[in-house]
Amino acid sequence: MTIQPDTFDPRAARPLSDWAWTAKLLCCRVDPTGRCVVAGAIDHTIQRWDIATGNRTSLIGHANWVRTLAFSPDGNTLHSGACDGRWIAWDIAAEVPQPLQTIEAHAGWVRGLAVSHDGQQVVTCGNDRAVRVWRATDGKLLRTLAGHPHIPYCVQFVPGTFEVVSGDIVGNIFHWHADSDQPARKLDAAEIYSHVGDLAPFGGIISLTFSPCGKRITASGLHKVSNAPAGNRRAVALSFDWATGEKLPKQECLRKDLDATMWRAIYHSGGTLIGIIEKEIGFWNPGEEDVFHLVPTPEHIFDCDLHPNQTDLYTAHFDGHVRALRLK
Amino acid sequence: MTGNQYKPCGTIDHGLGRRQFMGEFLTTAHVSAGALVGTSLFSHPLGAGQLAANGRSIVVVYLNGGISQFESWDPKSDLETGGPFRSIATSVPGIHISELLPKTAQQLHHMALIRSVSTDLDDHGLANNLVRSGRTTRSATEYPELGAVVAKGLERPDFPLPGHITTMVGGVGGRANNAAYLGPRYASVAVGAEKGGIVNTQLPEGLTVAVDSRRHDWRRFVNSRHRSRVQSAEMDAYTQTFEQALRLMEHRELFDISQETDAVQHAYGKSEFGKQMLLARRLVEREVPFIEIQHAGWDFHHNNFEFHLHYVADFDGPFAHFLTDLQQRGLLERTLVLVMTEFGRTPTINAGYGRDHYPKAWSIAAAGCGIQHSAVIGSTDAKGIEVTERKVDHRHLFHTWLRAVGIDSSGHFEIGGRKYPIADPAFGPVEELLA
Repeated sequence: MTIQPDTFDPRAARPLSDWAWTAKLLCCRVDPTGRCVVAGAIDHTIQRWDIATGNRTSLIGHANWVRTLAFSPDGNTLHSGACDGRWIAWDIAAEVPQPLQTIEAHAGWVRGLAVSHDGQQVVTCGNDRAVRVWRATDGKLLRTLAGHPHIPYCVQFVPGTFEVVSGDIVGNIFHWHADSDQPARKLDAAEIYSHVGDLAPFGGIISLTFSPCGKRITASGLHKVSNAPAGNRRAVALSFDWATGEKLPKQECLRKDLDATMWRAIYHSGGTLIGIIEKEIGFWNPGEEDVFHLVPTPEHIFDCDLHPNQTDLYTAHFDGHVRALRLK
Repeated sequence: MTGNQYKPCGTIDHGLGRRQFMGEFLTTAHVSAGALVGTSLFSHPLGAGQLAANGRSIVVVYLNGGISQFESWDPKSDLETGGPFRSIATSVPGIHISELLPKTAQQLHHMALIRSVSTDLDDHGLANNLVRSGRTTRSATEYPELGAVVAKGLERPDFPLPGHITTMVGGVGGRANNAAYLGPRYASVAVGAEKGGIVNTQLPEGLTVAVDSRRHDWRRFVNSRHRSRVQSAEMDAYTQTFEQALRLMEHRELFDISQETDAVQHAYGKSEFGKQMLLARRLVEREVPFIEIQHAGWDFHHNNFEFHLHYVADFDGPFAHFLTDLQQRGLLERTLVLVMTEFGRTPTINAGYGRDHYPKAWSIAAAGCGIQHSAVIGSTDAKGIEVTERKVDHRHLFHTWLRAVGIDSSGHFEIGGRKYPIADPAFGPVEELLA
């Protein structure tokens, strides 16, 4: 598929599609081949929509809220993680996808999940504070990476490698080399961590993403918490130079007062950072602190993903809808 | 944890309100009236001396802000309202509670669950007053809270400690205004569980016990002479507070949990809540009639599930060990333990993945003496929206708790020639909950 970043223009955003499910959606991903979009719901299902036709199919297999999704690079396998502690691999191209394998990955919830560049490895993290690397084809546990002082919330592979990065709910980003079970280094993002009393962490590393060139890693989450139980906070993205670990200027929404967590930040191939902020989608130019554009949506957004054409953005909403915007 | 610092809703409910100010005034006025006429405050045939003989205590663990019943005592598997936590089996076959309470689940044979509490106020301050006083707050009369009534009802002569104690970790302590017409003698006294017990109770350097004693003798003399000429409720209150503070100083070691063995302290845990539960056990041993432990900050309008994951875990271990410890020491048979809160939380999950205030159908847990163990009173529907069986409210429960520790809740206080029913006379206890 041809990528045409020069046509990307968030200011020209217009609705492309709007598909509804009956339960609240927590996560979504677009098939890297552009055939379908999938979303995880609190009714324990994953919903798949055919992008060309809008036809929907339910994937049944989890026994709790489906929190995290990732495709294999060829788009043939969908991996999902849920509050039932399971990682399930699905034959997503099938007419009615069935679990290829179900792995009891973590005690408590699976929080995050990612697939390696070649599709051979899957990394998960969960409430048992472990990060685990698995062989994708048969679910064999390859490594358990222990060291997070609190629950790791999200994981990624370093692009093009089997190295892992993981972010926890108290603001630590750990970098794990492929040949060691000890963290090679730690990036401190504690400024996007808050807490309620001494008991409950609030915020931390909600999502992790690398810039298109791989030179920057960006964590999204929240800061400026004034009343955590009431949800008074501001969305933020915090980046580090990947080579040096140097902290880069934060990116937040300064032009509009929004109580929000940035549940996910992703990069457009042209370098624009895209972050979801409550009901709005924010767009930042590289290195700029404030958004250059906000696109409103009808409901709270909890995840987003770009179509491989790099102009269609899919969002998973609290009202059970998956909505798409064409950004050109 | 210092519970009163939390104002998650952004309201001023926890501040000093008009009613509280008026309550302060009325409290002192009532004390004055009682002192003037010299009446017995407890006119029911079940006298204070009889009650004191059994050495019963009530321990309230108050989860300030409103714990979610879904994430604790009444879990639901409904896909829309139930949330992501599963239910687990308990030590009582057939009864399940949230998976967030694995240790408490093993103590359920000492406990009873009331899953059908239904009240009508969703404001923190008003609902707090409601459940603590067992009355409607819409009347002009201020009513004493459960702790004050129990302190009065289980009072015995020459008991050296306050009958109504609220534990805290840090802070300097103080006396609340929650005894209404019973007077400040029965209002809660806040004491700490750290820094060797109650703070600011050591004599200043250079001041000997003998000199301090003479200072107090002089104060008593002056007060007494003034009192013989001027009736002052305010002075009575201050005098009583001075004397109680002195008695507390004489028993300061009781509040020093570091005197417990390392093993005991470890078993309760190093959390603030664990330390307070350990202090509560020490106070139960000394037969303090009413002890309240506050565990605050449960008002999770946002991020309810994440916060309950951590908060309930903090509660579960120390609470379960507290029940075990009381049982092993033979104290549970004379101690009623209540897990209270001001209301439940909504079945509806809001867009911040929080739950809001919900007084319509919620739960309270109890353990220990005077109640049916392994009992579940009432039920809610599959979504947790409505009470479907045995609806009870704060007035029924107020009667029930008093009856469980041997106080006849149908009696009355007589103050200044006026009779005040101990509990709302239009209601009675939940009989099937009583042992």
